[in-house]
Amino acid sequence: MNLILIGMNHKTAPVEIRERLSIACMEGFNPLDEIKAIPGVGEALYLSTCNRVEILARTRKGHTDAEERLKALIFRHGNLGEEDMARCLYVYRDSTAIRHLFRVAASLDSLIMGEPQILGQVKEAYRLAVDHQAAGIILNKLLHRTFRVAKRVRTETGIASHAVSVGYAAVELAKKIFDTLKGKKVLIIGAGEMSELAARHLIKHGGDRIFVANRTHERAIQMAADFQGTPVDFDRLGDSLREVDIVISSTGAPGYILTYDMIAAVLKRRKNRLLFLIDIAVPRDIDPRAGDIENVYLYNMDNLQDIADDNMKIRKGEAEKGELIVAAEADRYIEWLNTLAVFPTIVSLKEKAVGIIRSELERSNGWLRNLSAEDREGVEILANTIVNKILHDPMTCLKEESQEGAALAYVAAIRRLFRLEEPGGEEYIKENYD
Amino acid sequence: MDGDMLLDVFFFRGALLAYLLSTLTYVFSLLARRVSSARAATWILTGAFGLHTLFFIGEWVGKGYTPFLHLHDILSFFAWVMAGVYLAFQLWTKTMVLGAFVSPVVFVLMIVSSISIDGPMIVPAVLQGSLVTIHAMLSLIGEALFAVASVAGLLYLLQNGLIKRRKFNKFIKLFPSLQDLDRINNLCLLWGILLLTLGIMAGAIWARTVWGSLWQWDPQQIWTLTAWLIYAVLLHQRLVIGWNGHKMALLSVAAFVLLLAALLVEKSFFTTIHRFY
Repeated sequence: MNLILIGMNHKTAPVEIRERLSIACMEGFNPLDEIKAIPGVGEALYLSTCNRVEILARTRKGHTDAEERLKALIFRHGNLGEEDMARCLYVYRDSTAIRHLFRVAASLDSLIMGEPQILGQVKEAYRLAVDHQAAGIILNKLLHRTFRVAKRVRTETGIASHAVSVGYAAVELAKKIFDTLKGKKVLIIGAGEMSELAARHLIKHGGDRIFVANRTHERAIQMAADFQGTPVDFDRLGDSLREVDIVISSTGAPGYILTYDMIAAVLKRRKNRLLFLIDIAVPRDIDPRAGDIENVYLYNMDNLQDIADDNMKIRKGEAEKGELIVAAEADRYIEWLNTLAVFPTIVSLKEKAVGIIRSELERSNGWLRNLSAEDREGVEILANTIVNKILHDPMTCLKEESQEGAALAYVAAIRRLFRLEEPGGEEYIKENYD
Repeated sequence: MDGDMLLDVFFFRGALLAYLLSTLTYVFSLLARRVSSARAATWILTGAFGLHTLFFIGEWVGKGYTPFLHLHDILSFFAWVMAGVYLAFQLWTKTMVLGAFVSPVVFVLMIVSSISIDGPMIVPAVLQGSLVTIHAMLSLIGEALFAVASVAGLLYLLQNGLIKRRKFNKFIKLFPSLQDLDRINNLCLLWGILLLTLGIMAGAIWARTVWGSLWQWDPQQIWTLTAWLIYAVLLHQRLVIGWNGHKMALLSVAAFVLLLAALLVEKSFFTTIHRFY
């Protein structure tokens, strides 16, 4: 096996360098064809996102210059001095390359750990590799395993299950108050970028009736139209507050828009139905004392940010579990790859044994015919068992040696000892693996 | 007959053991803060409830006398209803963790119940009849519903405190939403008051035919009426005035604690015509 992975990510390269590469690759061509054209490269995968650029290639034996050529290709497209680029690049081989790919897809290597997009991006990269006929037997198997590992990490650890953005933290809180956002009415006070972002989060999770209030009413009408909501009168906020379940406030007002008395009065009028207030304005729009009112839940920007930060810590803890899964899966995959080298030999050994049994049974057909059907079967089983028992140890030994990296000598010996025909498998190995 | 008895004991002990198991699993789910183990605990509780149901069927079919005269039967039936009500809610809300608060109560009731197992009793002729059974059954179910309402209330108070104090820890995530808990509280109060009213009415009719009067100034009667009044007031405030959420949770917990204390006092210091054991 000769896997090589060359890349750079948000940790090793500043954005100026990363963007040069990805821009170069966005301009109408995918470097896959170029990578494939490098002599010695058998299969290739090219992954490019805002935070990383990675090239994974399987090189054939004897092409030791493939790595240099791959690097040269990156330097050329990055349009940068070799020194700069070399500082940002990392190179992984074989088992470390596999582990790195697993970590990337499982979002353990992401800027925001556990973010869900990266798996989709890896899948897209693989689709492109398939389209460009750059993926063969090794990459196919490797990528499918990668997707499985990523899914395992996602479901078996809490890496993706804790809100790490302010907007999502607000949604999670709302669900702990109201259970579901479906059918909940949301009032947005102050039409702006921040409130719009927060509203989009709530709508995405089911909040379906939006009311917008703004000092200049035209803006409210405009934003309400964007969300298929209803504009409401800024001077009659009290009336709207009676109806809604969630309030997002982000005006530029210097003082409180919603005072303690106002909210206390509204709550009586709404028969104490639960009210979730989100104050993302600086300076604050809602009197912080309002949070003391029964059945009112008030969170401001800092509170939500604290939740997001705490959750990030939880994710980091969960990531350690993810690393263990990745390590175990990588080991298993490498083990499988190693047995691949001895696999054709094992198959021909078995075929030869089965052939011998069959021809010997045919030769003895003369006297076997005299036996009852039951006894005949017994003889066949006996023959099979003896052969299997004899072959069991050599085959196990072969598999074990494949893990030690010394398989080829044993493969050659077994082929010679058992006179296995068609050494095609061997050549396949020689071409593709160490 | 002997076989039936043994089977009864087997079902009861099995249920007791399963309630213990589910309680432990729930406690573990709280400590480990994992919903998955709460899910397992809920399945164990379902199994316990199944065994317990078989126990009752066996009792009724095998012994043929009206239950609910023994303390043993009363507590065990109360526990059974609580578990059943919780499991029913569990079907349509994501309130898995509520079980962590219901299950221990059920288990303790079962323990007390199993301690007070006596030999087979002779039911006084005066207490035989379906009206007595209906009276006891409806009242107990009503009171068990109040108990579940209070447990939901307790969990509401905990969750409310976490959200108010902005302690967004794993407990918040584990606990059900406020709205779900409030809904459970509401439904339990509503059905509890309805069934208790019917139960009291059945008891009154029966008392009138047997003793010639509806009201005996019996401590148990006083207690039951007090409970009925308290919960009726709560329900009224909830439906008409809009006392819901935090206040309702607080009041239903307080009412339950108060009534439980009163019940203990009543049972230990007063004699009552409701005492048959």
